[in-house]
Amino acid sequence: MRLRTTREQRILRIKVILRWFLYYVLIFLSFVFMTSGTWLKPLLLIPIPIFISIDNDQYGSVFTGALCGFLIDISCGKLFGYNAVLLTIFCIATSVLFELYLKNKFFNFLLISAAAAFIQCWLDYKFYYEMWEYEDVGRVFRRVSLRVWLYTVISSAGLRSILSLLKVMNTKGDMKIINVSEKVMSVFEVTSFTDILDISQK
Amino acid sequence: MREFLKSTRFKVLMSFLAFLVGIMIYAVTKGGYSVSGVSFINTLTKPVRKVSNGISMRFERGLDKFRNADEYYEENQQLKSQLGEMNKKLTNYDALVAENEELKKFVSIKEEHSDYVLSVPCDVMGFVTNDPFHSFTIDKGSEDGILPNCPVVTAEGLVGITIEVSKHVSTVRTILSPDLSIAAVCSSSNADSGIIEGGVVPAEENMTQLIHVSPSHKLKSGDLMITSGTSGMFPKDYPIGTVESIGYDSNGLSVTARIKPCTDITRLTSVIVITDFSGKREDKK
Repeated sequence: MRLRTTREQRILRIKVILRWFLYYVLIFLSFVFMTSGTWLKPLLLIPIPIFISIDNDQYGSVFTGALCGFLIDISCGKLFGYNAVLLTIFCIATSVLFELYLKNKFFNFLLISAAAAFIQCWLDYKFYYEMWEYEDVGRVFRRVSLRVWLYTVISSAGLRSILSLLKVMNTKGDMKIINVSEKVMSVFEVTSFTDILDISQK
Repeated sequence: MREFLKSTRFKVLMSFLAFLVGIMIYAVTKGGYSVSGVSFINTLTKPVRKVSNGISMRFERGLDKFRNADEYYEENQQLKSQLGEMNKKLTNYDALVAENEELKKFVSIKEEHSDYVLSVPCDVMGFVTNDPFHSFTIDKGSEDGILPNCPVVTAEGLVGITIEVSKHVSTVRTILSPDLSIAAVCSSSNADSGIIEGGVVPAEENMTQLIHVSPSHKLKSGDLMITSGTSGMFPKDYPIGTVESIGYDSNGLSVTARIKPCTDITRLTSVIVITDFSGKREDKK
């Protein structure tokens, strides 16, 4: 019985590692998407850490928020660290809000993402455009900042579905490796993976 | 909430936040060079970004054809009528000579500048996300001899200036940006001068503007504006753009001209960085 519990714990750990790996793959793909082409694009790296910080380890989600912030700084050509600070604050606030006051519902996530994206776009406009008093600077807010905010809110709804799928796979799904050939099985045995995973031979 | 504020977890998170603020302040002091983290991420993601940008640009161009089919049709009709006019002009010998002279001037700009130290051709990796002034990144950096504040050009004309340089990647601020001011002079008269400085409205149409023009100017549509080289930041006599229209600024006090850059900045695929030239300001070397 004790052995089974340990095995389950190991499987759970692998699932958690796999989930975080997939989160980071998604972050990387979002970064690549954001740095391609000339059109206005949603800031995908805002809703992702916010979703992660809702019900994941707080330190891990805050670190992810900072990393996403650094990536936004690179893709948007902003002062290195500026968005990292912003997203770290957003992640801490989201984590505390959902821990104490809010339920993990679609509407709540959308509301928090929209608020965070709006603050980011508004501050970006204030610090990088309005502060320098360019002529007709209000057009940047109307034609760039607001559009980017809207795109981000819309895309955050889609991103939540993808991220939720990753979570469902981890909580409800089960991981089995079946129809393994003799050679592959021997590799699993040598590496002791047979103790951790449910592996069946042909 | 009070428990959270008193907890060790909160203190750890605040320390992390302070660390990030420290990084941000450190980045400010780097004076045009990227912090090592940026260099690392840029180098790591360079190949993927180049490929994805290529795909994205191709996709955007393809979609652009469908989206602007009517516009292209109208443009085509306009071009046809212009072509007819041009054919008429070609029959006029004087006009032909004048046009030939103008082309000679344009060619001589390149021939006269043997003093330029040029970088290897740089590929455009991608445009800065959601920047209304179309800043972009190139795939060469300090290891290729590129420094901050180096002019970036194509064979057609000036594109911008390097503002942030990491080992293998540099960011370029374009002439569409209001943060870049270039002393310019009209190539034909060599008398009408002003400052090329981007603006929010012109940038929406991929244009820049010439400001602080003398009220007694003789500028006309089609005039080529070139760098005057007085600041020591840009080489002398390099083409910037042609005058599209002339008017007054929003106050109605000074003359401004809308300038169409010689290079279509949103369609750039490769550029060259001028790392040194005669007349370069010493503190920029």
